[in-house]
Amino acid sequence: MSRLLSVENLTISFRTDEGTITPVQDVTFAVDKGRTLGLVGESGSGKSVSTKALMRLLPRTASLGADTKMHYTAKDGQVMRIETLSDRSREIRALRGGEMGMIFQEPMASFSPVYTIGNQIIEAIRLHRPMSKREARAFAIDMLDKVGISNAGARIDQYAHELSGGMRQRAMIAVALSAGPALLIADEPTTALDVTIQAQVLDLMRDLQRELGMGMIFITHDLGVIAQVADDVAVMYLGSIVERGPARDVIRAPKHPYTQGLLAALPSLDTLSKRLTPIPGEIPSPNARPSGCPFHTRCAQKIAGLCDRKIPREVVPEPGRAVRCWLYDENGRAVA
Amino acid sequence: MLRFTVERLIGMVVTMALVSLMVFIIMEIPPGDYADRYAFRKYSGTGISVTAADVQAIRVDLGLDRPMLIRYFDWIGGIVLRGDFGQAFAFETSVNKVIGDKVWLTSGILFATLILTYLISIPIGIYAAVRRGSAVDYGLTVFSYLGLALPNFLLALVMLYFANRWFGSDIGGLFSAPYRDAPWSLPRVWDMLKHLWLPAVVLAWSAVAYQIQTVRATMSDELNKLSVTAARARGVPEGRLLLKYPARLAINPIVSTIGFDVNRIFSELPIVAVVLGLTELGQLLLRAYLDLDMNVAGAILLILTFAIVFMNFLSDILLAWLDPRIKLGA
Repeated sequence: MSRLLSVENLTISFRTDEGTITPVQDVTFAVDKGRTLGLVGESGSGKSVSTKALMRLLPRTASLGADTKMHYTAKDGQVMRIETLSDRSREIRALRGGEMGMIFQEPMASFSPVYTIGNQIIEAIRLHRPMSKREARAFAIDMLDKVGISNAGARIDQYAHELSGGMRQRAMIAVALSAGPALLIADEPTTALDVTIQAQVLDLMRDLQRELGMGMIFITHDLGVIAQVADDVAVMYLGSIVERGPARDVIRAPKHPYTQGLLAALPSLDTLSKRLTPIPGEIPSPNARPSGCPFHTRCAQKIAGLCDRKIPREVVPEPGRAVRCWLYDENGRAVA
Repeated sequence: MLRFTVERLIGMVVTMALVSLMVFIIMEIPPGDYADRYAFRKYSGTGISVTAADVQAIRVDLGLDRPMLIRYFDWIGGIVLRGDFGQAFAFETSVNKVIGDKVWLTSGILFATLILTYLISIPIGIYAAVRRGSAVDYGLTVFSYLGLALPNFLLALVMLYFANRWFGSDIGGLFSAPYRDAPWSLPRVWDMLKHLWLPAVVLAWSAVAYQIQTVRATMSDELNKLSVTAARARGVPEGRLLLKYPARLAINPIVSTIGFDVNRIFSELPIVAVVLGLTELGQLLLRAYLDLDMNVAGAILLILTFAIVFMNFLSDILLAWLDPRIKLGA
């Protein structure tokens, strides 16, 4: 299995009126070809911002840390160093859409209301594939058909507001896939959909990913969804990855107290009679980041005098797993 | 789109009919009528005493004794069928002669001002929104306040001075001496264009300042839309992206107020015209009111309101083309 994307020490800062905030700090993850990485966390944990950085879609006020490395292996085998590219370079434009496709949470807002769906799919196709207008239109209709939109030949000339929510998200998937990306970034693609539609869209995405052999980064706040789609998972809290590992292992035996809390807060049919256990407190604002471990303010297992003072290192409690928590770092504790 | 256009067209015709009726009523409001005035003009100072019967004879002669509704249809019929606006008694000639050239000169100034306003304010507003918070953006904001605060006539005076100093041109009026009373010809049009820019700049000044801020505000909103990020994420080059997605919607408020702009420019025109020595309709309208020359005043009012109604129709069509949601009624 070959590496598609590797991100090391990703740090993102924003200039604001109240000074510099750093919503993403020292994040490291990787995606292999044909595999799905699930990024989990509450809102404000830095999941979306991290993936926007991959496509250099951050606003002008954002800046990347000096140690940030984002290496992507393109379809032609060349390694692109994304952090060095200029926002307006030809390379970044080829990467956007052609190498990485992106799907967003709000399918309605992702389409421009003043152009037909076909116009926006054909635009994506013609930017990345050498096709005439007519060929691109035929290809777009095939694509809409493939994502399960019935009567695609007529739908292509409709506007986003003329479709239902589920159809819109299918159409957005068609836009993202029509340019032939090797990596699909899905930013909470099912959050805004009805539960029954959610399952259909998840199935569709998993099938298409297998068929096209794409890598995928799937962002969600729902660990239940991760169990369905992801091979690997990275749990984010306040801009840091606190736990990484194979999705099945992490869900079955979570190490970090935050992951444990997320799982306990998940409703399940087997435990309907029991009350859910929410994680106490709220996620702190990025400009009031706690000292030490960012989670210590809400952690039931915190070690007083350590967790609130020193940032924990990432340790490997067992092969294939990684966790950023003092509970699993006996050597570190001894030194500290 | 065709159905939408036809609907709006019918709406425009109905509006114009109602407006013409209102203008006619306004013409009727001042006491006395054309017969009184005609008798006064013809016989005052001649020593002949005029009786009520004489005035009534004139009234019957001119057909002014007929009911108001008939006279309205007579008046509007003459305008629609023959392009005849009736008699201008203060000038003792037809309204068409009095208004004549001034209609074209005024609409020339109006259109030049409109086009200049949009040509400058739209690209600059877009640029200011894209470079939001930069030195250029702040500079433009300062200019906007200046543009809004500076009275037109003052600007006209200042511009007149510099135009004369730098270009040595006899700025004042729309034509230089040899062409003033010459018949229309290509050199005369060219001569007019050379003079037209000055009133256009003066009149466009405050509108530009205002519209830059409008475009900047809507463009800033549009730039933050997810659909713009989504388009960027599929690799659309930045220049094309800006024009295709946010800019198309950002000019909506401008397009929808074209009619207001026509009205505003026309209202500001007389003062600027006095300073720059132009002969245009606004001034004539003012004089017609003072002379109670209601046929002239009515003709000008009618032309102006028709122009506004027509521009509104145009802006409706343009809006529907810019934003298909409008014609789809969504």
